[in-house]
Amino acid sequence: MTSPTRLESLRHAVPSDVERSPSGFGIDAVEPALAFSPDDRNEVAALLRAADEAGVVVVPQGGRTALSLGRPLQRYDVALETRGLQRIVEYVPDDLTLTVEAGIHLEALQQTLREHGQYLPIDPPPDDHVSIGGLLATARSGAWRGHLPAARDLLLGAVVASPTGQLESSGGRVVKNVTGYDMHRMHTGALGAFGVIVEASFKVAPLPPVTRTLAARADTIAEAGALAMRLWNASLAARAISILAPETAERIGLEASPTVLIELAGLEVSVDRSTQIIREANPRADEPAGTPWERLRRLHGDRVAAVVRFGVPSSDVIGAIEAARGAGCIAWGHIASGAVIGHAPSLDAASVQRLRAHATERGGFLQLESGSRGLRAAVDPFGPGEVDLVRSLKARFDARGTLNRGRWMEGV
Amino acid sequence: MPTTASPALIEALQRAVGSQHVLHAPEDLIAYEYDATIDRARPDAVLFPATAEQVAAVVRAANQYDVPVIPRGSGTGLSGGTVPVKGGVVVALTRMNRIVEVDAVNRVAVVEPGVVNLQLQEALAPLRLAWAPDPSSQRICTVGGNIANNSGGPHTLAHGSTVNHVLGLEVVVSDGRVINLGGRVLDAPGIDLRGLFVGSEGTLGIVTQATIRLVPAAPDVRTMLAIFDSVDEASAAVSAIIRNGVIPVALEMLDQEIIKLVEPRIHAGYPLDAGAVLLIEVEGLSEGVAVEADAVIEACRACGAREVRSADTQPARDKLWEGRKVGIGAIGAAAPAFYLLDGVVPRTKLPQVMRRVLELSAQYGFKCANIFHAGDGNLHPNIMFDPQEEGATQRVLDLGGEIMRLCVDVGGSITGEHGIGLEKRSYMEWVFSPPDLAAMERVRLAFGSADRFNPCKILPGGHGCATGHADELARHIAKPGVYI
Ligand SMILES: Cc1cc2nc3c(=O)[nH]c(=O)nc-3n(C[C@H](O)[C@H](O)[C@H](O)COP(=O)(O)OP(=O)(O)OC[C@H]3O[C@@H](n4cnc5c(N)ncnc54)[C@H](O)[C@@H]3O)c2cc1C
Ligand SMILES: Cc1cc2nc3c(=O)[nH]c(=O)nc-3n(C[C@H](O)[C@H](O)[C@H](O)COP(=O)(O)OP(=O)(O)OC[C@H]3O[C@@H](n4cnc5c(N)ncnc54)[C@H](O)[C@@H]3O)c2cc1C
Repeated sequence: MTSPTRLESLRHAVPSDVERSPSGFGIDAVEPALAFSPDDRNEVAALLRAADEAGVVVVPQGGRTALSLGRPLQRYDVALETRGLQRIVEYVPDDLTLTVEAGIHLEALQQTLREHGQYLPIDPPPDDHVSIGGLLATARSGAWRGHLPAARDLLLGAVVASPTGQLESSGGRVVKNVTGYDMHRMHTGALGAFGVIVEASFKVAPLPPVTRTLAARADTIAEAGALAMRLWNASLAARAISILAPETAERIGLEASPTVLIELAGLEVSVDRSTQIIREANPRADEPAGTPWERLRRLHGDRVAAVVRFGVPSSDVIGAIEAARGAGCIAWGHIASGAVIGHAPSLDAASVQRLRAHATERGGFLQLESGSRGLRAAVDPFGPGEVDLVRSLKARFDARGTLNRGRWMEGV
Repeated sequence: MPTTASPALIEALQRAVGSQHVLHAPEDLIAYEYDATIDRARPDAVLFPATAEQVAAVVRAANQYDVPVIPRGSGTGLSGGTVPVKGGVVVALTRMNRIVEVDAVNRVAVVEPGVVNLQLQEALAPLRLAWAPDPSSQRICTVGGNIANNSGGPHTLAHGSTVNHVLGLEVVVSDGRVINLGGRVLDAPGIDLRGLFVGSEGTLGIVTQATIRLVPAAPDVRTMLAIFDSVDEASAAVSAIIRNGVIPVALEMLDQEIIKLVEPRIHAGYPLDAGAVLLIEVEGLSEGVAVEADAVIEACRACGAREVRSADTQPARDKLWEGRKVGIGAIGAAAPAFYLLDGVVPRTKLPQVMRRVLELSAQYGFKCANIFHAGDGNLHPNIMFDPQEEGATQRVLDLGGEIMRLCVDVGGSITGEHGIGLEKRSYMEWVFSPPDLAAMERVRLAFGSADRFNPCKILPGGHGCATGHADELARHIAKPGVYI
């Protein structure tokens, strides 16, 4: 346990009204000694500097929806909530560019954008309060990926508070820019290993005038896979083409058949023409009742269950769905990105390893996106990857292991 | 600067790649002293490895003899990126030019870095696929150069820069290891070293193989030529088109100076008296293409377009594009020298910025021809001048500096696609604070490559790099003739 005097210096770093009660900031059933909710980036920097000097471990957190991503923390002293950083710094609708503070909730942002007929094309579960910082730090994606760019490709630049208390920016606010190293790309998906994102600039997109969801039922999963592949190659005005195993379809309120679920988005004429193409390919395609996409997203975002994400070549999506079913998962896949999600109340380490082997044999990967503390300690959530360079970066950007220590590997 | 390389180094290099693939006689090195800028410096040797293992052996030899390593593709870079400022070993990747695999079903290809962009496109075209980056230099530039510079092109507006299309990289890093970053599928888990590496301009390591994402050809494409009386109106139209919610796949501007240079060569029908034209392309399902084209035409008309022509057959489209493709070459043929600038501004600032660019050029007494990626706000003013004329070079550089400053002042940046290289490193301080730059320096250190790979590039300062700002800039004028 950390000595109280070492922690005391953090209290002096920021105004007292920034401190919060640590209860409610638990992660994997560990409560921190202190919690803060700074109001601005300078306070974030000051807290980090104080923590770095004191040798304690800080965990930045936004919406707290993805704290079971990564290995269990090695240590957890201080919670740093980013919710106070919620300003829209600059929004120029005519440029389709946006700069925000990193604690802002996605939904709040979307509301502002919607007023101008625009949106940030990212699709986490609708009822989750995800923060922009958390969204970037996790770099997950859903059904739209592959049809639309991922958050990392929408990000134009960022400002990050370093563990030594510096504010460091990279990129910019213009839609095309190759000035300097893209540090913001290093921070994207890094689970806060190298700094706390305090500001981010994005390119946003016009809202599609029309969206329409179609469900096309097939007799077998293989047939659904072939149909999805065919539709992917038909240049539809589609934002998602996903394959659902029968039990998955049932789980989200559809008929229990192998299903291709398609979301069309675009001009009305393009959506109509796309609908026609889909019906020609599968006369049984219809517009389903209910909210299948929302329910699918919620399953993906389930923090209690074990959730794995395969990345495989599109032609192997069906194989990965079958493998995940074999391990007892509810499974579905997105044809354009090759992502296959497996969801189960729990999984054991051996099954995860088997599924990972399935993915890597096909040139892909498997990431454990959520799971019990024990499972995440027993299997590396990320799988094999370059270690030396990651350690070397950590040594340069967070030499004392102040941020999220252990999320990636021992010390990192 | 070293004059002749140590015999021991040359021997080690010859062992690494075979003696017939090492150039070290001074007369053989001249062609590798520069890229498409006039900056030059003599390397100790130029090598042509054939495999990643050979590249790794070269890096290990360079470590042993403590000399810099400068990766090089075709040398079309416009920011001095391949200039061996401190001498060292130029690793030319042109022999590593195999397309290893095309997986059309999954829209993935595996290529060596020396594959020429256009060769790759030609191999993919029959499959109705493409490698999205389409720089105007695509006939000669390499995929490795595209990746190292995070290059763009007309279709970057729709598809994003090169980084969006790189799935995985095999690279040789400073300790001579051959490592893999990313993978074969989108969004490989782990720290995104792939994303950090793309655009690192040969300073973090050498790409020896790339796994890339391919984009499918659209079922229907329409190219339009919108003709305006002034750059001002054309600039306003760019913003108007995008504001209306139609994002074309390409949106390029050619001003009067360019039109006058290219039209007599290619006869595409660009009116010689037009102030500017926009080349606008939309694609998708034909029903949507028709509606989007109408919206584009309407926005152009509302901004004062004199006429908007449409091409929907391939030959007609190619004709319209030809003017764009030969534009830079035409400038090279028309002026003793020109300085090609690369800056970015918010799209809504285009009218004001273009007005100022033309004003400034007139004030300095130079002709300035503009041919650029207007939809992305990515300017390319080309300042034409005669280096023989007393003081002209210095004035061109001053003007270039003013234009870059202007881009920064309106919220833009100093390079959209050509990179910082040697040319712009002293401008980095206009965009980034000392802590920002220190963080970037840490990336180089983390890759162990501060002095090993391509020293004196991107970041200002550096051991033994220093020449004054003016001095450094004085050598960055594009050489005539290299483009054609
Ligand atoms: C179906 C589905 C689709 C999704 N689609 C997308 C998508 O397209 N794109 C996308 O990006 N996300 C997407 N997400 C959301 C993502 O998975 C996370 O749930 C969410 O973004 C986390 O935000 P949070 O604020 O709750 O983060 P938290 O749970 O609070 O934090 C998550 C991690 O990020 C770190 N962190 C938090 N804030 C910061 C910060 N400011 N700086 C540094 N590190 C920080 C934390 O320490 C922690 O390690 C999707 C999720 C689902 C389930
Ligand atoms: C007429 C003309 C038009 C152009 N138009 C455009 C345009 O529209 N868009 C655009 O973005 N650029 C453009 N450029 C610039 C240039 O062509 C691009 O940057 C191109 O991608 C460089 O490719 P190259 O093979 O010539 O690279 P080089 O010039 O040989 O090298 C460029 C940089 O990449 C590094 N490098 C090369 N290969 C590797 C490797 N395998 N591993 C690591 N580092 C490597 C080098 O060290 C150097 O820093 C243009 C240039 C010309 C001359």
